[in-house]
Amino acid sequence: MYVSPIREPLIKGNKTYSQITKDIAAPIEGKPGKAWYMGLTISLSAMFFGLAMMGYTVWEGIGTWGLNRTIGWGWGITNFVWWVGIGHAGTFISAILLLFRQKWRTSINRSAEAMTIFAVMCAGLFPLIHMGRPLLAFFVFPYPNTRGLWVNFNSPLLWDVFAISTYLLVSLLFWYMGLIPDIGTMRDRVTSKAKKYIYGLLSFGWTGSVKHWQRHEKLSLILAGLAAPLVLSVHSIVSSDFATAIIPGWHTTIFPPYFVAGAIFSGFAMVLTLLIVTRKVLNLENYITLSHIESMNKIIIATGSIVGIAYMTELFISWYSGVEYEQYAFLNRATGPYWWAYAIMMTCNVISPQLLWFRKLRRNLVFTFILSIFINIGMWFERFVIIVTSLHRDYLPSSWSMYSPTIVEVGIFIGTLGLFFSCFLLFIRVFPVIAIAEIKTVIKSSGEKETKNETL
Amino acid sequence: MNTNYILSKKTKQVFLSISVIGSLLIALSFLLENPDNKQVWMNVLLNNLYFLFLSLFGALFIALHKIAHSGWHVSLKRIPEALSTFLPYSAALMFLLIFGMHDLYHWSHHDLHDPIIKGKSAYLNLPFFFIRMAVYFAGWIGLSYLLRKNSISQDLSDNYKFHKQGRILAALFMAFFAISSSTMTWDWIMSVDPHWYSTLFGWYVFIGLFVSGIAAFILIIALLKSQGYIDFVNKEHLHDLGKYLFGFSIFWMYLWFFQYMLIWYSHIPEETVYFAQRLNGFPILFFAILVLNFVFPFLALMTRNSKRNIKWLAMVAAVVLIGQWLNIYLMLSPGILGETAQIGLIEIGSACLYLGGFLFVVFNALSKKPLLCKNDPFLEESFHYET
Amino acid sequence: MRSYISAYFTDEEDLLRASKTLMEKKILILDVLTPLPVHGLDKVLGLKESKLPTVGFIAGAIGTLFAFGFQTWTFVVDYPLFIGGKPHFSIPSFIPITFEVTVLFAAVAMVFAFLFRSKLGLGAKNKIHDERITDDRFVIIIEANENDEHFNNVKAILEQEAAHEIQLKEHK
Repeated sequence: MYVSPIREPLIKGNKTYSQITKDIAAPIEGKPGKAWYMGLTISLSAMFFGLAMMGYTVWEGIGTWGLNRTIGWGWGITNFVWWVGIGHAGTFISAILLLFRQKWRTSINRSAEAMTIFAVMCAGLFPLIHMGRPLLAFFVFPYPNTRGLWVNFNSPLLWDVFAISTYLLVSLLFWYMGLIPDIGTMRDRVTSKAKKYIYGLLSFGWTGSVKHWQRHEKLSLILAGLAAPLVLSVHSIVSSDFATAIIPGWHTTIFPPYFVAGAIFSGFAMVLTLLIVTRKVLNLENYITLSHIESMNKIIIATGSIVGIAYMTELFISWYSGVEYEQYAFLNRATGPYWWAYAIMMTCNVISPQLLWFRKLRRNLVFTFILSIFINIGMWFERFVIIVTSLHRDYLPSSWSMYSPTIVEVGIFIGTLGLFFSCFLLFIRVFPVIAIAEIKTVIKSSGEKETKNETL
Repeated sequence: MNTNYILSKKTKQVFLSISVIGSLLIALSFLLENPDNKQVWMNVLLNNLYFLFLSLFGALFIALHKIAHSGWHVSLKRIPEALSTFLPYSAALMFLLIFGMHDLYHWSHHDLHDPIIKGKSAYLNLPFFFIRMAVYFAGWIGLSYLLRKNSISQDLSDNYKFHKQGRILAALFMAFFAISSSTMTWDWIMSVDPHWYSTLFGWYVFIGLFVSGIAAFILIIALLKSQGYIDFVNKEHLHDLGKYLFGFSIFWMYLWFFQYMLIWYSHIPEETVYFAQRLNGFPILFFAILVLNFVFPFLALMTRNSKRNIKWLAMVAAVVLIGQWLNIYLMLSPGILGETAQIGLIEIGSACLYLGGFLFVVFNALSKKPLLCKNDPFLEESFHYET
Repeated sequence: MRSYISAYFTDEEDLLRASKTLMEKKILILDVLTPLPVHGLDKVLGLKESKLPTVGFIAGAIGTLFAFGFQTWTFVVDYPLFIGGKPHFSIPSFIPITFEVTVLFAAVAMVFAFLFRSKLGLGAKNKIHDERITDDRFVIIIEANENDEHFNNVKAILEQEAAHEIQLKEHK
């Protein structure tokens, strides 16, 4: 495959195949540093704190949360949508960017997919806890029961059950199938007998035979073709939880594509947050280069602008509709008691990403890192604004209310953050963070010696 | 390799005869069907929009691929560039609406006692409507002209200065288009039913624009190839365009479905009236559009070989083009003419009249410049790649 | 005791050329083992196109019919209830789950078909020819027969095509 000389190299430092294997396997083979143990300790403590709060919720009931009769959905559902959104980047990178032949994907797809799976796991916890009696969660599945009843297929909440579990399973399969050759590499590298046995078991007996590769490539391509609409469907269905209702501020037809754009936006922000640190700590700067960061920043500005246009469209159409409740809902969002949440959302999601029009800032690591945290916060507030401000003003002023979370809700959120980071920290010690076999396929065409760097 | 397209006399005659047949059909319609002013203006608006979309797609395609640093499309770029040369004609035709506003847009009437429309008058009023129209066309024509000029200048240049400038132009176009593509659909299409609103509408129409543009692109390639030109366009290019047509047909269906489903589900009379009118008045057309724009291309382009066979691909593209025309018809006609409207001779005739003129402008533009560009830094990539 | 020749390469270009020459000379290649997918190798070896897409399509179609049929059956036939003023047979409501189940069936079926056809899976006992294969070595495995002439012949071809290392091993 010919690559234009003006393209930047995707892998720096004239690597050979063997060096690539060594560099990427190094974090698994070496001893973890102090920072890793510290990170894991903090994450695990957060996780256990969250677990305690979950236990308390289940024991005492949802009454321990700050919800009330008017505002029945608060932090729980906000966090659910936030995590699902973050879980969109991985499959977007590995499926849609694969279909669009974006080679830079090979450096980041593995870790992004892992992140996706952990984020969806965190997301799934919230509806489960919100049920109040998680032991009866199996009620959501359509199984023949003594009551003779079926689940409600008309309900978007049930669509969610199917969408999220399908998404988790397909992402997991996609990720693991991609991992098999690399686990094979690890199996052949490790020396300890126990490790060799485990990696051998997990590698599914991978040999690298040409017939296997041929099927493997076909499988990846078709799975990508299936996963691409799946990514779109999942957040669209999540958005239907709101949009099928008739609550002003929720019922708006732009929600599905706008939620998807927002999900990819927040997902990429989380990928950047994680990878800017990871590449430094694991010495992978030659593989996850500034040009990768820049490409991700371009996706951020594109999706951020789409989200911005969606905000504007909603505002305009709420006025244009001539429906006073719609008009009030949006006016109240921007100027009502929760104006500060709206202001944070607008600043973080619409205004700050516009700085990425400057190439210097797109390639500035510190700026990108800070911006990515901003976006994570902004996207959390987007969901908060949609859920809480639309609910807190009902049609009857007597039921108007305010909402503030209790320590229990905050604790559960912190707990999922802990779970997420613990999983990620364990992942980078166990599996190759970059798809070894895949990145080897681009070294010939996009390695340093092949491409001259003429900055354009 | 022959890269200079010559618009032969025969081709010109074909284009002319399409228009002549169209005119005859229109004349016949006036004799037999006696269409009223509303129907005439509806046809003007419908075809204005349809061919405007095809030509906007040209500029959009170039801008989108330029900012994405795409390599594969470079050898094909003269075709979308030629599509965008129809934009000035579109502008002229669209300004004819000055005379047709009263027939097309209920909100433009002076003697309305309608509080809902009155509430919208800050946006829906005649001066602002035409100011917006002028701004859209100024932006689209200006930027697409500069993009095309930039691409032609790159042919003659030995460095990548123009390539670099083109990227800035492309980003500007994308930013302008991102906003104007939504507002134009509110202005021209959504306000036909002035009470109705849907936030998704702009994006839904935009995907229709993209799908019909891809289909037109494929058909022009097929036409040029059948005349023995552009042998540098290979199966890989066709495969990519086929994937676009396949993928965006699915995407179109996705947006159609969610707009419909959310309105159906919430069951608010002010919103459902839009679909009720279309489903009750035009049941066959309503479902035919879904078949032509989704079911058929989805099944027909599923396999790898179907996307690499130019004849098959061109046939699917033609079906989708008809489907998208019907789609715009169904967006306009019930709002302007009511539920009793029917597709008659005048609809077919005006579409043919426009089509002949459109093809002439586009192919004339193709004949003015070489079909293969030169000196683009990504040009080589466009020859050596496999999907 | 049957034996085989394994030829080691360090570059996929050499491997591709060598495979081509061996195929032209009608020498039986048992397998080619590589650390990364080599573009065009399957065509050189004349491998048939994988049928995984067909598996995916059939499983997907079954998923579509199953999900749509099941929802229709429960809501129209088995226990019709009025919910939210929706008709019993409410097509738009059934579409999201139908789509998800379609994707689920297709994806799971393809993964299992892949593992099954390739004899991969937990506890699969495939022979690992060389531990360097998953790192940077490209290996062609060729059937060797008893006579030395054949071996020398193959060896000569391989050396000409820049094989890095040639070994004669015995099947276990």
